[in-house]
Amino acid sequence: MEIVSSRLNVSDFCAAQELYHANGWTDGLPVIPPTRTLVEDCLNWAMLPSEHVVGIEPVRERAITAEKLAINSVMAGCLPMHFPLVVTAMTAILHKDFLLHGATASTGGSAVLLIVNGPIRRELGMTTEFNVLGNSDRASATVGRSIRLALINLLNVRPGEIDRSTLGHPGKFSYCLAEDEENSCWESLASERLGDSNVSAVTAMAAMAPRQVMNEWTTDPREICETFSAEIRSNQLNYSIWPGNYVLIIPPQLRSHFETSKWTKGDIKECVFERARVLRGEWANVGKGSVVKDRADREYPALNEPDDLIIVAAGGPAGGFAAIIPPWLGSKSRASTAAVGACVDCEVW
Amino acid sequence: MELLNPSYEETKINQIPADRLLELRGKTVGIISNGKENTAPFFEYLSQILEDKYGVQNVVQRIKGNYSAPAEDELMAEIVGWDAVLSGVGD
Repeated sequence: MEIVSSRLNVSDFCAAQELYHANGWTDGLPVIPPTRTLVEDCLNWAMLPSEHVVGIEPVRERAITAEKLAINSVMAGCLPMHFPLVVTAMTAILHKDFLLHGATASTGGSAVLLIVNGPIRRELGMTTEFNVLGNSDRASATVGRSIRLALINLLNVRPGEIDRSTLGHPGKFSYCLAEDEENSCWESLASERLGDSNVSAVTAMAAMAPRQVMNEWTTDPREICETFSAEIRSNQLNYSIWPGNYVLIIPPQLRSHFETSKWTKGDIKECVFERARVLRGEWANVGKGSVVKDRADREYPALNEPDDLIIVAAGGPAGGFAAIIPPWLGSKSRASTAAVGACVDCEVW
Repeated sequence: MELLNPSYEETKINQIPADRLLELRGKTVGIISNGKENTAPFFEYLSQILEDKYGVQNVVQRIKGNYSAPAEDELMAEIVGWDAVLSGVGD
């Protein structure tokens, strides 16, 4: 296999760390030194030739090759078996509607959230329950980190360079979770978006930090939806009023109340769609009165349509919690879903 | 230990910089705003300076549809008729 990346000679593991940190090639954490063997193992597992173009970043027209993506995946700690998921995630974020350049350059400071569905979750040992938003398992941690390192190294999304985030958030280290399909009676996210319940897929979204909510004092689905909607309304007023994709992560305890009442994801979407909306005049209540102007009665929905709400079943078994993950900036960036697959036209080793 | 460079290494340059203007007098200068609110008074003031101080004949002001995305194809086509372009980024 032809590997075209330039070579670097270092004396040992520690020297490798210093070299990669000094060149701005890390996220501040140690990396696995990317040897040719480790990189080739990733490419072989995914059956991708090194020169395969995973996609082209549409604004700067940079081709992202499988070789460079594999190098960054190795650095992030990925095993070869994780690499197809990284390729899929990169494919998803290079879709033009994701608006990768804007999302990664904006002062808004979003991170790339990845939601994994399908059989690959179990093949990779991804966990879907405890601490699901906090580096719950090896694959989630390393796949999410791979995307961040690739953005840093292939598109210069470093703080102060392309990344102009005012604050950013911790999800920029790694922001990846898998849906708990086994313990949910709901249709999976990938099935909703791709129409196939057996497919392995990654849904990506330019996302802000999770906002955790709690309601352990009702079993009424409408009241629970009101708690979700209130948090979204708060985000609309305090952060961005514009409608877009919101992610709603629902762990088992709250999920059980919906399931008992026979509520589907679609029912929750309809309910939140109706309730998650604010009047422009409410900005005056949060110190933004100067921008209300003469449009105080204008209504702003958080979702342009019910399907803008991305519901994910995930989380630990106990606790009446859920999480709202707002979009970077309304509908400027759209969530993108790509299916995991091998390149059927590529040479197989 | 031999390691691989993880950064973008494409060095091929396909683009040639446009000829630089020797003066602005009598020229057409386009301004592409990202559409954020404070760009309006700023570019208005800039247009006045270009016309009054530098003798620019025609200042064309345009606003992108999405401030986080590249300019639309129609706008890019219009640029061909301008002598210089100012692309504004800011809040």
